[in-house]
Amino acid sequence: MAENANAGISKKRHFKINNTAILFIILAGMFIIASYVGRPFFFSKLNLIPMINNLSFIGVVAAVLTMVMVTGEIDFSIGGNIGLTACLTALLLERGLPGWLVVVIVLATGAAMGAFNGMVVTVIGVNSMIATIGTMFIWRGIGYTLTNGESILAMNPVIDYIGRGFVFKVIPFPIVLLVVVFTITYIVMHHSKWGRKIYAIGSNPLASFLSGINVKKVKFIGFLICGMTASLGGLILTSLTAVGMPQHGQGLELLIISSIILGGTVLGGGKGTILGTLAGVFILSVLYNFLTIMNIYYFYMQIVQGTILILIVSTYEMKQTMIRRRT
Amino acid sequence: MEKVTKKYSPVMNFLRTPTPTLIGIYIVMLIFFSLGSENFLAIQNMKGIFNNFAVFGIMAAGVAVVMVGGGFDLSVGSVAGLAGIVSAVLLMKGIELSTPYVFVIAMVIGCLVGLINGLIIVKVGINPIITTLGTLAIFRGICYFWADLNPRIYNIFVQNFGRKYIGGVFPVTTVYIIVAFTIITLIFKFTRFGRNLFAIGGNENLARLVGIPVDRTKIISYMISGFFAAIAGLLLISQLGSGRPEYGTGAELEIITIVVLGGVIVGGGKGNFLGVFIALVIIQTISNGLVLIDLPVYLRMVVKGALLVLVIAIDAIRSKRHLLRY
Repeated sequence: MAENANAGISKKRHFKINNTAILFIILAGMFIIASYVGRPFFFSKLNLIPMINNLSFIGVVAAVLTMVMVTGEIDFSIGGNIGLTACLTALLLERGLPGWLVVVIVLATGAAMGAFNGMVVTVIGVNSMIATIGTMFIWRGIGYTLTNGESILAMNPVIDYIGRGFVFKVIPFPIVLLVVVFTITYIVMHHSKWGRKIYAIGSNPLASFLSGINVKKVKFIGFLICGMTASLGGLILTSLTAVGMPQHGQGLELLIISSIILGGTVLGGGKGTILGTLAGVFILSVLYNFLTIMNIYYFYMQIVQGTILILIVSTYEMKQTMIRRRT
Repeated sequence: MEKVTKKYSPVMNFLRTPTPTLIGIYIVMLIFFSLGSENFLAIQNMKGIFNNFAVFGIMAAGVAVVMVGGGFDLSVGSVAGLAGIVSAVLLMKGIELSTPYVFVIAMVIGCLVGLINGLIIVKVGINPIITTLGTLAIFRGICYFWADLNPRIYNIFVQNFGRKYIGGVFPVTTVYIIVAFTIITLIFKFTRFGRNLFAIGGNENLARLVGIPVDRTKIISYMISGFFAAIAGLLLISQLGSGRPEYGTGAELEIITIVVLGGVIVGGGKGNFLGVFIALVIIQTISNGLVLIDLPVYLRMVVKGALLVLVIAIDAIRSKRHLLRY
C-alpha cells in the first residue's frame, strides 16, 4: 500500500513500468529462449497443446486461490482436493451415472471441501496454513480409501470433452475454461464491490471489520469457491489423463502457490492482481515444460521448484524492505 | 516482593498446563486399544512402540524449540532423509568412512540446513512456513542424487545405534529421547537462550526493544531443529538398515500434530516439553493402535489429518486467539 501511495507522489511515475508488465516481458523472453534452445520440439503442436492444457488446469485453480490469498489466508489443500475429485469422478462414472450429473456432484463436493476449510479457519479461528495442511492429508486419504490406492479408468463423453474437447474444432476446451474463470475473477477482483472488500480485508482486517465489512463471510466464501474451482481443476486433470487416481495433484500446491506469489500476490494479503497470477502461471509452466524437454530428472525438478519459491518470495520481500527504508 | 499474596505453587502450575489432560487422554486410549486388540498390551508390542517413537520424538523436540520461538519448521522430514542418506553413502562398501566422522558429518549437515533455514527466515524475513515448504522440496530433491546407490548398512555400531535393547527389554532409543528432552528442558529452564526464545515467541518486537539478540536466537533455534532432525535421520538408517532417499517423507504432519498437541502454541511463547513428550507417546500409540485394530492403511492417513485439524482447532480455542480474529 505504501508503495502505491509513494508512486502517486513520485515525479518519476511516468517511467515506472508495473510488475505485471515486467512479468509478461520475462515470459516473452522465456518463450523465445525456450523455442530456440528446445527446437524443434518446443514449438510443435505435440508439445504446445499438452502444455497449454496443463497450464489451464493450474491457472483455473490459481486464479481463485489468488482471491483467497489476497484476503490474507492460504489454502494448501488444493492438491488433496484435486486427488479426491479425480477419484470421485472415476468412481461415479464407474457406477454408470450420466456425465453432467457427475460434474455437478463433484463440483458440489469441492464446494463442501472448501466450506469445511472455511469453517475451520473463520469460525474456529485456526491458522489457515496449518489447518489446510491437515485437510490436504484428509482429502487425499479419503481419495486413497475410496479407490483403495488404485487408478480407475474415467471415460465418458462429457468428462472427455472437459479436458480434451475442442470448441469449433480448434480451441481446446480447457483454454476456454481458463479464459472464463480468469475473466470472472478479474471482474470480481478489480471491478466489483466484493473485490474492494477482499483487498480491504487483506491490507487491514481490523479496519475493515470496524468499517462494517463482514470479514468472516468474505473469507468463508473465498474458501468455498476455491474448493469448487480446485474440483474443476481436478475434473480437467481427470479428463486429460482419462484416469482417476488418488496421486493426482500431489505436490501441486507448491507450483500453484509459487506462481501466485510470482504474480505479485503478497503472503500477508492485500496485494496481488489476477493478471499477475496469469503471468506467473504462464512463466512457471513454460519453465517446467522447458526443463522437461531438456530432460531434467523429476526429482531434480523438485529442487528447482523449491528454490524458485524461495527466490521469488525473497525478491519481493527484499523489494518491500527497500521501499520501507526509502520512505 | 514479600506482599505477593498468590504463592507460586509448582503443583498448581503443573495442573494449569495441558499435561494432565494429556495424561488422562493417554489412559483412556490405553483402555480403548487394549479392549480393541488383545495384542496391544503385549510386551513385544510395547517394546515396538517405544522403539519406534525415537525418530519422531527427536524431530518433534527440535521443532518444539523452533515453535516456542514463534517459528515453524516443515523441512525436518527432508533433513532427516538427507542426513540419513549421506551417512549411509559414506558408510557404504568402498568408502567406509569411520563412524565418528560420519556422525559428525551428519550433524554438521543438520546444523547447516538449519542455518540456511534460519538465515532465509530471519534475515530476508520470509514467512517460516513458506520457506521451510520450499526447503522441504529442495532437500528431498537433493536426496535423490544418491537414489540409485541403494546403500546398505553393514557397520555394526550404526546398526546397534538405533536397534539395541538394554538388558533385552529396554530400547536404547528411549534413552536418547529422554536425554534429548531433558537437555532441552534444562536449556529452557536455566539458560539465557531458553528464556530469550520464550520472550521472542511471546512478543518479538518487545524482545527486540528490550535488547534480546532476536535474530541470533532464532537462527540458533532453527539450527537445533536441524541438528535433531539429522540425528533422527541416523536413527532411521540404523533401524531400517539402508539409506533410501524417501526416508522421512510426510513426517512433518505427524510432528506438527505432536508438538501442537503437546501444548506448544502456534505463534510461540508458550509450551512445555513434558507435554510434547506425552503427546509423542499418545500419537505413536494411536499409530500403533490403528494398525492393531486393523484400520485400512489409507484410512490412517485420513485419521492423522483429521487429528491435526482437531488438535490445531483445540489450540486455537485454548489460546483464545479467535476472540481477536474478526
